[in-house]
Amino acid sequence: MLRAFGAAALVGATILVAGCGGSSSSGESESQTAAGISTAPPPTPTACETKGGTLKILSAGDVDHIDPGQGYYSFTYEITRPTQRALLSAKPGTVELQPDLAAGMPQVSKDGKTVTVKIRQGVHFSPPVNREVTSADVKYAIERGFATSVANGYAAAYFGVIQGAPKTAPQFPEPISGIETPDPSTLVFHLTQPEAVFVTALSMPLTAPVPEDYAKQYDDQTLSTYGLHQVASGPYMIKSNAAGSINGVGYKPNRLIDLVRNPNWDSSTDYRLACADEVRFEEGFQDPTVVAKTILSGSADANGDIPPPPAELRSILSSSTESKELFFTPTGGARYIALNTTEPPFDNANARKAVAYVLDRNALRLTRGGAVDGTIATHFIDPSFGDKGFEQAGGTGFNPFPSPDFSGDVTKAKELMKAAGYADGMYTGPQVTVVADNVPPGSDTAKVVAADLAKIGIKSRIISVTHATMYTKYCNVPKNEPNICPNVGWLPDFHEPQAILDVPFNGKNIIPSNNSNWPLLNDPAINAAMDRAEKTLDPSKRYEQWGKIDQQVTETASAIPWLWEDYPTLFSSRVVPALMVDNEGAPDVDFMSVR
Amino acid sequence: MALLEIEDLRVHFNTRDGVVRAVDGVSLTLDRHETLGIVGESGSGKSVTALTVMGLTRLPNAVVEGRVLLDGVDLLALPLHELRRIRGSRVAMVFQDPMSSLHPLYKVGWQIVEAIRAHGDVPKDVARRRAVQALADVGIPSPAERMDSYPHELSGGMRQRAMIAMALVLDPDVLIADEPTTALDVTVQAQILDVIRRLQAERGAAVALITHDLGVVAETADQLAVMYAGRVVERGPLATVLDAPEHPYTWGLLQSIPRLEAGPQRLQPIAGTPPSLIHVPSGCSFHPRCPYAFALCPEIVPPLVLSQPGHDVACHLPPAKRQAIGRRLRSEDDASGGLAAG
Amino acid sequence: MSVHVETEASRRPSPGGPPGGLAAAQRALAGVLGSSMLRYVVRRILWGIVLLFVVSGLTFLIFYAFPAADPAALRAGRQATPQLIEQIRHSLGLDKPVYDQYWLYMKGLVLHFDLGYSYENNVSVTSQILSRLPATIALTAGAFVVWMLVGIPVGILSAIKRRSVVDRTTMGASLLAISAPVYWLGLIALLLFSQDIGELHFLPGAGSYTPLTSDPTQWFFSLLMPWFVLAAAFAAFYARMVRGNLIDVLGEDYIRTARAKGLSERRVILRHGLRAALTPVVTMAGLDLGVLLGGAILTETVFNIPGVGRYAYDSIINSDLPAIQGTVLFGAFFIIVANIVVDVLYAFLDPRVRY
Repeated sequence: MLRAFGAAALVGATILVAGCGGSSSSGESESQTAAGISTAPPPTPTACETKGGTLKILSAGDVDHIDPGQGYYSFTYEITRPTQRALLSAKPGTVELQPDLAAGMPQVSKDGKTVTVKIRQGVHFSPPVNREVTSADVKYAIERGFATSVANGYAAAYFGVIQGAPKTAPQFPEPISGIETPDPSTLVFHLTQPEAVFVTALSMPLTAPVPEDYAKQYDDQTLSTYGLHQVASGPYMIKSNAAGSINGVGYKPNRLIDLVRNPNWDSSTDYRLACADEVRFEEGFQDPTVVAKTILSGSADANGDIPPPPAELRSILSSSTESKELFFTPTGGARYIALNTTEPPFDNANARKAVAYVLDRNALRLTRGGAVDGTIATHFIDPSFGDKGFEQAGGTGFNPFPSPDFSGDVTKAKELMKAAGYADGMYTGPQVTVVADNVPPGSDTAKVVAADLAKIGIKSRIISVTHATMYTKYCNVPKNEPNICPNVGWLPDFHEPQAILDVPFNGKNIIPSNNSNWPLLNDPAINAAMDRAEKTLDPSKRYEQWGKIDQQVTETASAIPWLWEDYPTLFSSRVVPALMVDNEGAPDVDFMSVR
Repeated sequence: MALLEIEDLRVHFNTRDGVVRAVDGVSLTLDRHETLGIVGESGSGKSVTALTVMGLTRLPNAVVEGRVLLDGVDLLALPLHELRRIRGSRVAMVFQDPMSSLHPLYKVGWQIVEAIRAHGDVPKDVARRRAVQALADVGIPSPAERMDSYPHELSGGMRQRAMIAMALVLDPDVLIADEPTTALDVTVQAQILDVIRRLQAERGAAVALITHDLGVVAETADQLAVMYAGRVVERGPLATVLDAPEHPYTWGLLQSIPRLEAGPQRLQPIAGTPPSLIHVPSGCSFHPRCPYAFALCPEIVPPLVLSQPGHDVACHLPPAKRQAIGRRLRSEDDASGGLAAG
Repeated sequence: MSVHVETEASRRPSPGGPPGGLAAAQRALAGVLGSSMLRYVVRRILWGIVLLFVVSGLTFLIFYAFPAADPAALRAGRQATPQLIEQIRHSLGLDKPVYDQYWLYMKGLVLHFDLGYSYENNVSVTSQILSRLPATIALTAGAFVVWMLVGIPVGILSAIKRRSVVDRTTMGASLLAISAPVYWLGLIALLLFSQDIGELHFLPGAGSYTPLTSDPTQWFFSLLMPWFVLAAAFAAFYARMVRGNLIDVLGEDYIRTARAKGLSERRVILRHGLRAALTPVVTMAGLDLGVLLGGAILTETVFNIPGVGRYAYDSIINSDLPAIQGTVLFGAFFIIVANIVVDVLYAFLDPRVRY
């Protein structure tokens, strides 16, 4: 989901009225982010208006990985959701989970260490496998995620707690003793300790079934090629040839992903509608204005990973017909400015708080398009969580570093600089290093940060690199980390506050490379609170705990949140719109139909 | 009536720096079997005169006045498409540097064939045979093989012969050779002049031989015209002009030639520098450099008038005086070793 | 696809010593080209191969010396442990020393024409490049035809009517065409002419490219705008070049001689003038063609044409070294071939040139 921030890139600056907002997790009530901008999703269709036809989704880039066991990116989920049935999926139009491949919600034992899931009957793999899906297929799907030939990015994080899960990744998939399949329709997980988010994690695509007999030959290579030969369990499959290969058929890297109907799909086993006969994801469209206009003209049906730019959004919002096709969805996460707490000057809490006061949140938001881009964030759990932690953290009312109109408070900042030991309230130390994107809007955000810091005397040296380099060579490597990483953010894998706060702020998650705890925050009290919350199975207690943790983390000012982003999805008038509320408003091809 | 008559030709070019009076009232005649040598330093207007005869000075910034009569037809008044019919077939020109004057990317034979076929519907094989013959006529060995040579594959002398062959292949009545030997070795020069002379004798064409080198004309010309600053200053039979020159400029030219037999000598150049053609000296344009200039010279342009039979001179000095000065200079010369031998 | 230009040096040796087929080919070539030319061509080809090695080595070095993203980390995903990243690094062979990796890569390339597998999606780089090559070739060849057909006559006309209104208009327009950024021009073209989003619905819009073999009509119409957009700056440049060359040439002595021969003005300008003026233009065009075959990145991006240029751009963004190497080598290959062809062509066009 980190990549989502990178892809939603080409939004410039506009001026719209700032507002505040909050929404309930069900998404049924109206919610406002600015005068007239609603984040209500379109109503989920209950039947197909027409059956048949082809949907066309335009995108700039490709999936991160075509293998559903590797995919870890919101655009990739637009393809895995219709083709791969995970154990659980979001109820359409909400962030609540319902059984998908599972026959019913998982049963968790009292001590939280045993989780039992029943597998639905009558679900079949697509050709060339064809046979019915069994619990062994889900077991293998999870096991393969731990091998380096597959290397799933979240397997260890969420499923490492299963007994027998390997501590060092084997080269090829190996059985995990803690996953039991007493019969073909039952799956039992034995955990070493209770994990609050374990059940929620069963909605990740890693749990979609993979037939071992078919996949083993591909997984037993240094880098698995199963992705290029994958089979589907959902209503759609990536077009393949008779041998099952999708390369050059339904998958042309960076060009096209072509979904056709899975002939073995039984609609009576599935909540999905699957109205269209074909869904084409056409990739490589770099210009967001061209994409927006193409959708408005009806030649394409929705944007996959490239949002319309602010100029287009403005013009669409001002048209009463066009605005009916535009929807904003909270992404669930926050963008923030990370300060390196292990190096001066930001090892000093007061200095960090001074930065939190001096930053002009409005100017920051303007670099991404202004109010149309989302709500100014005051802590980390975003409004779409509703009573799953957002309210418990104080909602929009919790703002520990207030300033008039969010434009920054230089006086207060200077006071805190004095408290940090700088006599006039102006910084006197050496330059601070900032590693930022080399293209807008990231580069613009960095410039605003530098300009604001200058108000308290901090001079910045900005190192501009590509987005990927910024992460993999600098910000994710603690020993190379600069003083400030201004272009970071975190999107939750699912709507549990742990998914927002744990990896980025828990001291135990600091690792020498691929580190996502950018502030390198290692506060023992906060760490302990998180560890407790991670084992709290009772939801309301858990959300209470995480709400408090959100407040504590915010108050350390080790990272300064500034935007709860809303993602715009544009549909053509040719189709009935449907989007995934749990996946940043990505078009939901399982429910879209041609009018 | 002569074959080619140039009557009071004036050619002026309008440039940003002023009007360049390249040719300022030139009258010459040319007959068959006759070689007219036109001599003068660079800037004297001799090349522009030649180009104008061919119609190659018809430029937007050029003003051409006077007449050029070929068998009574004024070439200057002819429309271009008719002039083109005459170029190459009735009047042909050979240029100074055959390396740059022949197209570097086409074979020599092709270029000659092109000249032939531009003036009539001649089948390719016939034209080719004629071209081979033309090369043979100018003395090029193995002419059939030479047809397929490119200009850069030939020596300087061969190239010039090829140029001459191309000019004469259609048997023109008039051949204008503009400094044909200047770019060549001394040893080759004589050969080229031989070729021209021989072909003239064989075909009876009229030849205008333009050069700054008196030695060249002394061998080949019948008539000699001396040009200075766009005007003819002296004109007459070769022997007369060379043995008894009557113009101070001609005296200067002859005196400035180094002589092989005379032993170590001091070169006597003509004092002063060639005049600007934009700001031509008033009156007689030679007067700033003339040792014999007097009050009338800057005032009035001296007309080209008969001084002796067939010998015209443009100078204000009375003929008797001129002849006296001329005799005196010759005897001084004879004393120091002989003037313009032969 | 120029892979067919297999050089003698890169052919696999047949069992049992130097192949007889090689000698026969040499004789045939010698007949056509003349043996000194043949020696020249062979020499150039051998140097070309050396150059390709150098290019591949440099690309390797640059990738390692300058901060690009870490492919192992990208591959491993967001929450992967450092240990997993190291394991992936090991399985990709990225923990080997640079020269080791280079050696393995070159071995695969020279022996099997194998350009490796993409770090990004594990698809064979060779197959990706080959599948995208037809689009790039179509784009480049079409633009080439357009810019030559437009640029050369305009240049001739401007040279002949020097300083006239025609000349000033064409040279002014050419300045505009050269200054207009290709990407911008492409967007303007789309917003004016494309069927879906343009004002005048003439031509298929971005992303409408289909291969020639599947739908020739759509192929042609989808490439019209890209051809003209890509050709614009080149046509302007070539018009100016032809104009300048022709003006220079028309001042040469041999043009005077041609006129003195009594040739028609048209023949003088075209057969004598243009013939000399075009020689450098032809060689320039060959070189431009060679460079473009490596991928016209901007045009391919704005019109979403799935060509090699686009692939190069995407692979740089994704730090996909095998793909970067592959596209760089392909680009270098075309440039080298174009250079050799152009030099040989020059010898045919200008007999004064000797090797």
